[in-house]
Amino acid sequence: MTELIERTATTTDVPVVELSMQQAINRALRELLAEDPDVLVFGEDVGALGGVFRVTDGLQKEFGDKRVFDTPLAESAIMGMAVGLAMNGWRPVPELQFDGFAYPAIDQIVNQVARMNYRTRGAAPMPITLRLPSFGGIQAPEHHGESLEALFAHTPGLKVAVPSDPEEAYGLLLQAVRSDDPVVYMEPKSRYWDRRPVRLREPSSPIGASRVVRPGRHATLIAWGAMVQRCVRVAELAAEDGVELEVVDLRWLKPIDTAGLAESVSRTKRAVVVHEAPLTAGLGAEVSALVTENCFGDLAAPVQRVTGFDVPYPAGPLEPQYLPTIDRVLLAVQRTLEY
Amino acid sequence: MAQENITFTLPDLGEGLVEATVLEWQVAVGDVIERNAPLVEVETTKSAVVIPSPQAGRVAELHAEEDQVVPVGEPLVTFTVETSDDAPQAGIVGRVPTEEARPARRVRLKPPTD
Repeated sequence: MTELIERTATTTDVPVVELSMQQAINRALRELLAEDPDVLVFGEDVGALGGVFRVTDGLQKEFGDKRVFDTPLAESAIMGMAVGLAMNGWRPVPELQFDGFAYPAIDQIVNQVARMNYRTRGAAPMPITLRLPSFGGIQAPEHHGESLEALFAHTPGLKVAVPSDPEEAYGLLLQAVRSDDPVVYMEPKSRYWDRRPVRLREPSSPIGASRVVRPGRHATLIAWGAMVQRCVRVAELAAEDGVELEVVDLRWLKPIDTAGLAESVSRTKRAVVVHEAPLTAGLGAEVSALVTENCFGDLAAPVQRVTGFDVPYPAGPLEPQYLPTIDRVLLAVQRTLEY
Repeated sequence: MAQENITFTLPDLGEGLVEATVLEWQVAVGDVIERNAPLVEVETTKSAVVIPSPQAGRVAELHAEEDQVVPVGEPLVTFTVETSDDAPQAGIVGRVPTEEARPARRVRLKPPTD
């Protein structure tokens, strides 16, 4: 984490621009390509086309087709190439076009990217940032709405970051790419078009730090990615009933900010974890365990989980029923309040 | 609202076919059609197929006569579509989610007494 402290920015003169999450990621990639000649951006359609979500728009034109380039439609080869490039001193930022298509590359990610540094006793660090458009919410076909965070967080050697808004997307990507460890950077597709003012500033908190999005005192909602905004909505509605909910954006799913979670939940005494992935062995179980281990004496109710269901990710029209609804989160909050 | 012309080229209809013969247009210049509406029937060396429209819009130009052979990758049809400068464009897959200004709810909360 020392690299971050060196990069802590001054608080004055931070430019603020209104950007969508797509544009914020594009902006961060542009700055990373400009600041470090070892940064390479590659993947399916990221070059000439500019990415299926326009995230890499214009980068090939600006930095050339040696540094921003298209690959064959072969996810395992994309990650294998990233390993070789990293071993030769480059800083690869590959994209796998959609969450569900990371599965063909799992061997490279788990067996090579995550372990090479350990295997070589630090001789071959893997400063790779895998950009992975992730999660559901855009009514896409099968394989385009998966939540793989528990799989990556469970793999020793990987870090996992999930931005929830444009400013977070900008800052977390700078941190991820500058880190000498491999980071899986999961972009919540349903928030790509979310436009907000973005402070173009250096990351001000270390890797692994969560953030309080909205303070409250009756219960803590813990989420990441698109579910953060949903929890903010829930908190706004709960406020109408006189219930003040704190919303914590985990941001880093590996390492998890145990101290930050404990600080919040020991104050509110109740916690609800919300994620899109299925319930069983999802990351909500890990968060619930961490909260319980660290706040057992303070908890007024068992930690609740509101998640997708234990079924394959459903086709578009069923998505609204599958993803945690506002009412399902409110019901879980009520269970903790009445316990 | 601005207007934009989008040209659709003949796709490879499978397994490396290099050309197709236009059998029958199912739209005419000036027609306003929906995405996936039947566009044109073409014949390849393997079969005759109806190509659905990849695009909603007004048909601006048909680039081939009936019975004409069109190489894969050559222009087939041009659409005129309305575009809004600030409307978010979805990717190739999926659609831009809409957010309700005031989400529906059925559950009411009771504040805790402690």
